[in-house]
Amino acid sequence: MEVQNSEHGHIIEVCGDVPAAGPSLAGSKICGEAACGFSDPKTSSEDAKERSAAMQKLLIAVILCVIFMSVEVAGGIKANSLSILTDAAHLLSDVAAFAISLFSLWASGWEANPRQSYGFFRIEILGALISIQMIWLLTGILVYEAIARIINGTGEVQGFLMFVVAAFGLVVNIAMALLLGHDHDHGHGHDHGHGRHDHGHGDHGHTHGGHDEMHSHGITITTHHHHERHYKHDDEHHHAYEEDQTKPLLMTSSEGERKSKYGAKQRKQRNINVQGAYLHVLGDSIQSVGVMIGGAIIWYKPQWKIIDLICTLLFSAIVLGTTIRMLRNILEVLMESTPREIDATKLEKGLCEMQEVVAVHELHIWAITVGKVLLACHVIIKSEADADMVLNKVIDYIRREYNISHVTIQVERL
Amino acid sequence: MEKSDSFKYYYPSEKESQNSWNTGFGLSVSDRRLAFSRQASFDQAREPHTPVSINLNDPAKPLLARSVSNIDIPTGLFYSLDESNKYSGEGNGSAQKFSFMLFVFSILRIMRSGNRYMKRLFVMISLNVAYSTTELVIGLFTGRVGLVSDAFHLTFGCGLLTFSLFAMAASRKQPDRVYTYGYKRLEALSAFTNALFLLFMSFSLAVEGLHAFIQDESEHKHYLIVSAVTNLLVNLIGVWFFRNYARINLVYRNAEDMNYHSVCLHVLADSIRSAGLILASWLLSLGVQNAEVLCLGLVSVAVFMLVMPLFKATGGILLQMAPPRIPTSALSKCWRQINAREDVLEIAQARFWEFVPGHVVGSVSIQVKKGMDDRTTLQFVHGLYHDLGVQNLTVQTDDV
Repeated sequence: MEVQNSEHGHIIEVCGDVPAAGPSLAGSKICGEAACGFSDPKTSSEDAKERSAAMQKLLIAVILCVIFMSVEVAGGIKANSLSILTDAAHLLSDVAAFAISLFSLWASGWEANPRQSYGFFRIEILGALISIQMIWLLTGILVYEAIARIINGTGEVQGFLMFVVAAFGLVVNIAMALLLGHDHDHGHGHDHGHGRHDHGHGDHGHTHGGHDEMHSHGITITTHHHHERHYKHDDEHHHAYEEDQTKPLLMTSSEGERKSKYGAKQRKQRNINVQGAYLHVLGDSIQSVGVMIGGAIIWYKPQWKIIDLICTLLFSAIVLGTTIRMLRNILEVLMESTPREIDATKLEKGLCEMQEVVAVHELHIWAITVGKVLLACHVIIKSEADADMVLNKVIDYIRREYNISHVTIQVERL
Repeated sequence: MEKSDSFKYYYPSEKESQNSWNTGFGLSVSDRRLAFSRQASFDQAREPHTPVSINLNDPAKPLLARSVSNIDIPTGLFYSLDESNKYSGEGNGSAQKFSFMLFVFSILRIMRSGNRYMKRLFVMISLNVAYSTTELVIGLFTGRVGLVSDAFHLTFGCGLLTFSLFAMAASRKQPDRVYTYGYKRLEALSAFTNALFLLFMSFSLAVEGLHAFIQDESEHKHYLIVSAVTNLLVNLIGVWFFRNYARINLVYRNAEDMNYHSVCLHVLADSIRSAGLILASWLLSLGVQNAEVLCLGLVSVAVFMLVMPLFKATGGILLQMAPPRIPTSALSKCWRQINAREDVLEIAQARFWEFVPGHVVGSVSIQVKKGMDDRTTLQFVHGLYHDLGVQNLTVQTDDV
């Protein structure tokens, strides 16, 4: 920081070292290529890293699944038991779901072309939608099979066999849930519950550092408040530390760095396809628990065969309940709605508060995929204002406050 | 800032130009693919947004454009819907949970004043529900698993058709704070879901055929004849209702077309499936070996080919692909014309996507020389793209 005293007396100029704004902003206002903002080197390499990490996880899960499935098929043919073979078929459906997620992950990294001007990020969302519909379909099939078992009523439903098979399936599913749910690989033992997550804990990223997130502004911090994914119910108390949205301008850099890492870690939500696969596995473990309970009861009291059906129905309802939240998120993205974490009214008001801006029209904010938001609007300014300056101000404001980097603003004069 | 201010359209072109985009692309009304356009919805599709001239100094002019058609919601209903939206949604700006019950009741009200296709769909759904319930009850009481499985399959189908009906009703709602483009995407979504279900069905039929091939048990099909015939009849009624959409490749004018097409394909595929089962039973009784495998395979392939174009089209909408109806030659012509203007240095990017078929959204970013009058440039660009059929356009002019 330099302090200059002008020779005419009482004017002191203080120049701070502001590492941001200025030339980089003008340069990145327009992007020359098809999918800019989504493919500048920094974000694309982060994206690629994140994607390859997720793909690795899913690949390991698929391989595990195939191994377990072949074991079960061999065992089922040997023991000539239908229920084991059914469970193996269920694992096959898991493999299919993982394959869909893997494909969507891989496909979303494709280069944009003139037909797909925004890139292929949406494929993630469509793949997740297909996964969830498969979950629903499979749940329906399970319910049908439970009913068919009741109708057939042939002989004994072996409670013990049900119990053992379900226990095995549960162990497999827990292993995969741990694999898919393990967010950070820093090696410090942070026990955030097990894969089962019936208390809805460690789904969100934790704040210990290790990720070097470079923010382009050293002084202004955006802790972006992302809506967290809770599968079953709203753990409101988890939101308590997410209250602050933007930090004041002057903050010591060390504190700023810590907060920026905090914000960055929060922003690193799990990829939606990994989440979909995780939901699949979670649903399977819930079903396995249900079958275990049913098997135990039938083993204990073999004449209560109806328990099988009741357990299936109950636990199927629970599984469907876990998917509702993710389905809602997917639907919101697909319907091009304003993302939850952005308050459109506040943004409009903030824009209108600028001096030269008279009105804001046709404000559209929508998400390409979770986390990548675009904005388009028409801004009416006073006749004598400098359009370019206002454009820069508006883009900077939106980028700073709401972290939306891909913006198209039409400036009209009154 | 009240709600109506955010949706003014400042398109500076004359009213006549709106009709030109339709005829400029070799799609005449006599085109066979547009045969279904005898319906009333055709006129509604022609120009959903009336362009209004830029006259910012005249606040008295009503600027909110609404499409006018004879199947629009009666105004009183619209206002009450609007009020209910406002009350439920104004508390926090980006209204997160709009009350579900309110939504359901509003949908029920709309359904009573629904259009022809909605009523037909409603009749079809009730038929299907009645049929599947009787089948389920009979199957449960007589202990026949085949009937129960058929009933389940039907129930899935009914659920999907109900979602389609719901989408038809819900897509009438006007755009609000959270859904700034409106709700019409729901129709494309329901079409996608239907197509997905049909793909699943084709796949499961193939698996069933494989199963029959391996296991070679064919007796259980015989007593399903009665149910298959009834199923076929019910579905043929459905095909008759939606006979205008019984094609594989269709040109979609607006969102409803996709939805109706998907419903039609759904019942068509179901009837093909029932016909296949009947054929298999008949061939089996004739003594043809592997009849079941053959028929199941045929049906599976047929349904797959039926559904693929719809799946690709809806997938393209959901993936925000460039609008298939605007040929790239027209787009590059516009590009050249804009570049030819003297104050334009270059076009940085021009992206277009379709919200629903017929509603194209675009964002263009051009670099201009300093100090030029941006208003004429803006008017020119807007006019150019409006002739192509782009309704929402945002043009960013950057001074270099």
